[in-house]
Amino acid sequence: MSTPTITRPEWSTVIDPVLQKELEQHVLVTTWDKLLGMVDTVYNWGRRSSLWPLGFGLACCAIEMICTASSRFDIARFGAEVFRGSPRQADVMIVSGTVTKTMMPMIARLYDQMPEPKYVISMGACASGGGPFKEGYNVVSGVDKYLPVDVYVPGCPPTPQALLNGLIMLQKKIDGERFTQAPWYRGEVERDIPVPVLGPDLIDLRLLEITAERTAQGLVEAREETLEKPPIIPAPQPEVEEAPAEAAPAAPKAPSKLDLIRAKSAAAAAGTEAPAEAAEAPKPAAKPAAKPAKKVKKAEARPSLCWLGDAGLKELNDRLNSKFGAGTSTIIQAALLIPADKLVAVCLYLRDENTIKYDYLASLQSVHFEDCIEVNYQLDSTINQGKLIEVRVRTSQVEGEGEVPSLNSVWRGADFQEREVYDMMGVKFTGHPELKRILMWDGYSYWPLRKDFLEPYYEGPTKVFDSRCEDGRHFRAEEFNPYGSNTKIPKGWNGWGELDPGDDTKGKTLLPSGVEISELGTDQFMVSMGPQHPSTHGVFRMNLRVDGETIVGLKPVMGYMHRNHEKIGERNTFLMNFPFTDRLDYLTSMGNNFGYALAVEQLMGDDSKPPERAEYIRVIMAELTRVASHMWSIGFLLNDLGAFFTPALYAIEERELILDLFEWASGSRMMCNYFRFGGVAFELPPGWIERCRGIVNDRLDKKIDELDRYLTNNEIVGDRAKGVGILTAEQAINFSMAGPVLRGSGVSYDVRRAAPYSIYDRFDFKVPVGKTGDMFDRYIVRLEEMRESVKILKQACKDIPATGPILAGKKTYQIKVPAGEAYSRVENPKGELGYYVYADGSATAYRYHVRSPSFINLTALEQMCLGHSIADVVGILGSLDIVLGEVDR
Amino acid sequence: MGYGRGIIVGHWVTLRRFLRTFFIGHGATLKRRGGGHQLFDLWPGKKKRGEEPTVQQDATTEGLFTVEYPDERLPVYERFRVLPVLVYDDSDGNVRCTCCNICAKVCPPQCIWMTHAAGPDGKPVPLPEDYYIDMDVCMNCGLCSEYCPFDAIKMDQNFELSNYERHQSHIFSLQDLLVSSEFYANTHPEAYASDEQVVERGKVAKKKDQRLQKALGVGAKPASNPKPAAKPAATPAT
Repeated sequence: MSTPTITRPEWSTVIDPVLQKELEQHVLVTTWDKLLGMVDTVYNWGRRSSLWPLGFGLACCAIEMICTASSRFDIARFGAEVFRGSPRQADVMIVSGTVTKTMMPMIARLYDQMPEPKYVISMGACASGGGPFKEGYNVVSGVDKYLPVDVYVPGCPPTPQALLNGLIMLQKKIDGERFTQAPWYRGEVERDIPVPVLGPDLIDLRLLEITAERTAQGLVEAREETLEKPPIIPAPQPEVEEAPAEAAPAAPKAPSKLDLIRAKSAAAAAGTEAPAEAAEAPKPAAKPAAKPAKKVKKAEARPSLCWLGDAGLKELNDRLNSKFGAGTSTIIQAALLIPADKLVAVCLYLRDENTIKYDYLASLQSVHFEDCIEVNYQLDSTINQGKLIEVRVRTSQVEGEGEVPSLNSVWRGADFQEREVYDMMGVKFTGHPELKRILMWDGYSYWPLRKDFLEPYYEGPTKVFDSRCEDGRHFRAEEFNPYGSNTKIPKGWNGWGELDPGDDTKGKTLLPSGVEISELGTDQFMVSMGPQHPSTHGVFRMNLRVDGETIVGLKPVMGYMHRNHEKIGERNTFLMNFPFTDRLDYLTSMGNNFGYALAVEQLMGDDSKPPERAEYIRVIMAELTRVASHMWSIGFLLNDLGAFFTPALYAIEERELILDLFEWASGSRMMCNYFRFGGVAFELPPGWIERCRGIVNDRLDKKIDELDRYLTNNEIVGDRAKGVGILTAEQAINFSMAGPVLRGSGVSYDVRRAAPYSIYDRFDFKVPVGKTGDMFDRYIVRLEEMRESVKILKQACKDIPATGPILAGKKTYQIKVPAGEAYSRVENPKGELGYYVYADGSATAYRYHVRSPSFINLTALEQMCLGHSIADVVGILGSLDIVLGEVDR
Repeated sequence: MGYGRGIIVGHWVTLRRFLRTFFIGHGATLKRRGGGHQLFDLWPGKKKRGEEPTVQQDATTEGLFTVEYPDERLPVYERFRVLPVLVYDDSDGNVRCTCCNICAKVCPPQCIWMTHAAGPDGKPVPLPEDYYIDMDVCMNCGLCSEYCPFDAIKMDQNFELSNYERHQSHIFSLQDLLVSSEFYANTHPEAYASDEQVVERGKVAKKKDQRLQKALGVGAKPASNPKPAAKPAATPAT
């Protein structure tokens, strides 16, 4: 094909047509438009090559965003490495992760503060449309409901490469913009968005009238009446042989629909001795109508895999009854039921005088039954480890009437957990110093984890939901809700006039009282730090009271990333919940999977014992996770101490190599979803174990030593970390601290040793402990723990059977879980991760609770920070190593 | 003594690291390990999409760590999963999906919705008429493809999905989701060649003709029992 040429007769010069076109476009300026076009080119080129993102991370996607900025992906190549802490200096807001209602006003405010021209990248499924958490009651279904979004990056989470792809798309978009039509040079364009208000729910002020109108009509309540409600089962009762008189008040008025479930739980209450034939015999609620119920298999009654044992519990029960009077303690499903008025006395006895001193409150959660709300406590001893017991206390289930004495005076670690129970179920804890909502905001209308609360997008008690696809059309969940968004406001609510966008509903009630420092004659004032702050490791906020530079009071404000994990977990079938556990502590998804698998396997019993090879794979994955997480943690601790990003870059490299292994085996870098009940999902790919051995045997030790060499004797690290944020051993135990924080204070308590799970009893490793319990000790403990993990990994990689099954039984999605109660504990990198599962024999968990180490470790934050300066608070928070996905769940 | 010593040491650490990229481990060859652009490869020609050099990093990687996406890429592991796709067979153009709904049943965030196709007589046939995946809800967990008894839904590896709009384009319909079995065989060679999937394909191939007959209404027997047809294959799922 020959190119046609144009011959100009005057000069008879041959000009290439392409060149001519180029000349006309760029050199021979003929029109004003074209001149401006040239300006556009330069103008856009300048802007596109220096997009400064707002240093702003919401959830899991933020971790991938940080990885994008780190050494492997290096967003600096696009001129976007200057992550700005202040919105005033930023060009692009990367909305990285789940947008919650609690956080939405902050996001809107940040957006308004950004100068024009400004762009928004919506990163991940959650930011785009609510994602997997869409059905949660505290999640906004897409940030585009409030902000104008320029680029959507799908994926959950998008890999760093996908984010870079989104950035390139944004650059292309900027390339297409015209200088003359730029909206930010036209005064009449109003781009600010009104800040939504946290009232009874998140209220968009632009839709105030229509919201008020629909609330008055009670459309939500009308819709809910047509839907099937979640079942509510009666609480388990003591075995009839022991205490027949103590049967709960029968509730015979309930509809017959629930009979089946009620019978199931009656069977569940039958106890331990005769699990097979006891299904019919004891019926505490005296319901003869429960005949047609089919027998539900019951799990062995035990609070956890490693516990005191039936005999020990019986003895303890008798001792309590003889000491505090008969009827003090009753054994129900291998746990002690204590009347509320004797709870504090009994717990003090258990802590101080009992033969096994239960000084450690492992976990605390509540279950909503038909006849009561039960709060149960898992207690362990740090001296005589692994002798876990469970204590129950029951109170009225009527909304707003439940009252239980606070155990805050016995174990300070109960503080936040009791507030969480109050927040989620409305149980009041008498004697609690500050009983306020912790995850939601004061003023929110509902108690979300009560069984009778239905989320705005509620469709049914369990998945699978009804089809959203009809007549060749697909419906989104929004279209079912009368408000068209994830909103639910009680019918009678009538405070529309008082909604104020300037109001800080979430944090204004949580103000630290502080202490007086007499020698300094300065005024005290409040500083609100977070939730958008580069060094709070996510959307965490602290209300600080400072006297000059000195902290005299601190109140954590959290819930900015409350994604309703537990409520969604009660709708999920057991299998479906796996990928959700990935997103708890998103730096340690394998460890989260591990804990959850163990909880359900405890209920399933020996049927689901993982084969040998699977156990090894699990341990390898969990320990690789620990190394990756501690690498991240140490890198970012240094970030917080002022060594901005360089140590993190070195540490993240090793993490990336470990993530490669995860991606290779499971298919995803972060959200591995690799464990299954009774094993793991896939066989290791060929060559995997060799590369893993290469990294474990030849590389990790060297890199840990390198980190050690650079940091441990560093003068600045020493100055900033030694003697700061001290927590003594007694305090650490009393505050229910876990993981490296507890061990940093000198308490040798590691769940892998205290209550060995899986095959950890086979490996030779030490439990490193610190001496003083300061920041430096916590750093050292993490460093040493990585060495111990590598030691375990070396043994596991050596001993792993070359072949063999990786899953007990057949692979099926229909998981049958016997009725019962389980609390599993694993030593996650952040500390003891516990899963409490109450199963009623159906396809979903009746109650599902996560004991999250990050959340409980924050209880002691004020204690550690008092007397230090704001700069130290950042470091202390870094040394706690919290992950907000787990704090707020 | 030693003011500024820290700065010099710091620079040495950085320089040493850079040099190790090329000189440590496999002789001084001025070559960067793992592939990708090399030291004297300053003006690499722009490769076409899909032909960019892949950088393989492992235990021996030292020094420079950056993979210069989009000019270089990380290797895509076979199991890498982003969004699900539906596979149709090249040989006859049939969708493998029988609309058995198992993927929708195991989907944790409930993002998969489908309706049965109807035959000429109005009775449902085991083929999807509509099949939607809302990718703003999908959590890329891969459970659908893991439990699909017909090898019909698979996880795609394409992560470059950014776009400017979501309300029209983020709900993938059947047409958007279909990929050919050849495409799948290319992206997932190991899985495609694995014993389980070969067996599975054999089974599905037999069923497929029957289904097609049914869908077209050719068979004398009306499509009265699409479910039993799906059941037998569902049990031997891996």
